[in-house]
Amino acid sequence: MAKNTKAIKDLGQCVERFHHGVSLEQILGEVEYLRDEGDTVIAGGSLVYGFGNHLSDLDLVITGPTTIESSRVPIEHFIGSLRVDVWKLALGLVEDSFDRAERALADDQALLGSFGDMEHDDELKLLHRIAFGIVVDGDGIESQGRDYCTVASALVVREYIERMRTSALLAQLALRAGRAVAAVVNARLTVEDALNAAVAYQGLPFSGGKWLGERLANQASDLAPVYEPFRQLPETPHQEATQFVQGVLATCVEMWGLDLGIDALVSSANWTNADLRVAEIGADRLLLSPGFGALWSLDEKEIKIWHQLVSAGTRKTDAIWDLSACDAEALSMCLCLHEHGLVDLRWTKGVVIDDLRPSLDAGAMI
Amino acid sequence: MRTIDVDARRYAWCRSRALWIIGMPVRSFIEDIYGAQQAGQENLVHFTARRIGEACAVALNVAVNYARPIPSPAMRGSWALEQLQGHELCQPCWELIRGIDAPADEIVKRCDSLTTRVYEIVGEMPNILTPDGYFPAIAMARDWIKLLDAVGEEAPMPYNWTLPT
Repeated sequence: MAKNTKAIKDLGQCVERFHHGVSLEQILGEVEYLRDEGDTVIAGGSLVYGFGNHLSDLDLVITGPTTIESSRVPIEHFIGSLRVDVWKLALGLVEDSFDRAERALADDQALLGSFGDMEHDDELKLLHRIAFGIVVDGDGIESQGRDYCTVASALVVREYIERMRTSALLAQLALRAGRAVAAVVNARLTVEDALNAAVAYQGLPFSGGKWLGERLANQASDLAPVYEPFRQLPETPHQEATQFVQGVLATCVEMWGLDLGIDALVSSANWTNADLRVAEIGADRLLLSPGFGALWSLDEKEIKIWHQLVSAGTRKTDAIWDLSACDAEALSMCLCLHEHGLVDLRWTKGVVIDDLRPSLDAGAMI
Repeated sequence: MRTIDVDARRYAWCRSRALWIIGMPVRSFIEDIYGAQQAGQENLVHFTARRIGEACAVALNVAVNYARPIPSPAMRGSWALEQLQGHELCQPCWELIRGIDAPADEIVKRCDSLTTRVYEIVGEMPNILTPDGYFPAIAMARDWIKLLDAVGEEAPMPYNWTLPT
């Protein structure tokens, strides 16, 4: 990746316009102390991708083949009204991330969350800064025989498709368990995950899920009508959740050709219980989480389901419960435990991109 | 001397997390929503308002009900709303989470009003996103880490963000 003079000029004008005369030269001067010999400065994020605003920060990556120190924590700088976050990374670490991404994409194990969780998306955004960012100073970086953009885009597609699968499963389990608000919240996440995957599938750079609506309005407007029916949750979830969830599932199945029915999904999912146990005190039965120092009382029916779950732990430990081995009551109890943060959902298989059958709505091939 | 009616571990865990949620993510969402409003980015206004509603619901539930642990991001909104039933701020949180059909200015007003009321209940942290607030916020985080360490609980904020003692 080398310098693109027009892109640098556009970014410079954008920063000067939004931030009252702060120039790229000034920014480079402020972060100069972080550069080692041979380091390149790459700008990425929403300002570079054309949808930032005057309160957006500027993301910089400083990297090179002889970078001495690295930090995954961004170093903040304030220049006038502009906040500049700098990631200082040895090029070897950047290449390691891309290596790991390529291996994860070639593997059929789930990669969900391996490169950033729902809240932060840290590593996904970092890889996109490298792939789609612009070199603002330095000689650029040489990729080791790979196309950064292809890998970074495929990684976001895969991550968001796996999120879509999780959200779809949780929406359906919540619906069955009578948890209407959880059902509609997860249904909306399902369609947003599907659309974030589609935007990346079209080859557009990723800068976090929060920009989805703006991307649909401006850069991927062909997808906007898909989102519109689900943008707002139903006013009365208890009455409308079933219809809302079904509408989302039909839309996402059509977009990606992935079976999102509950029976298909439970076959490759399990619950993992970190430390929950039942304490018996006389006739009382208490569900105990020693790690969180928390207790819940269980009634007789819940105790019976609990014992079924533990005795049916079909893996190496009774702390892993296959969803496919759970009856409806056990699934509901597990969903309730999950909603309280007490058991986690894990997948035994990932979703390989080549196995998808995307419709035209999903956009062009990356 | 006033007794704090909850054990020290739970108090430190819950109050620090509630404060962290409104001190870091919510600050950043507020910055996002103002930027979006001023730039006419209505979609970002709507999305960010949802995040503010959810984060406020979670912070309130943790601070008011001493609820722990906090579930995964996909489940925490419904978890918090259920336990906040009857609380005066439950409905404003739900309306933002659901999504409001209103002009951006009106949505921003509602977010401001909600966060102001949540700050009154949970407490306030210096604005870590500004030059003036950055180091004071980190100093406050360090104080919380000391308390959390003393009671054997993990901190919600990265340990390497704080200054050495």
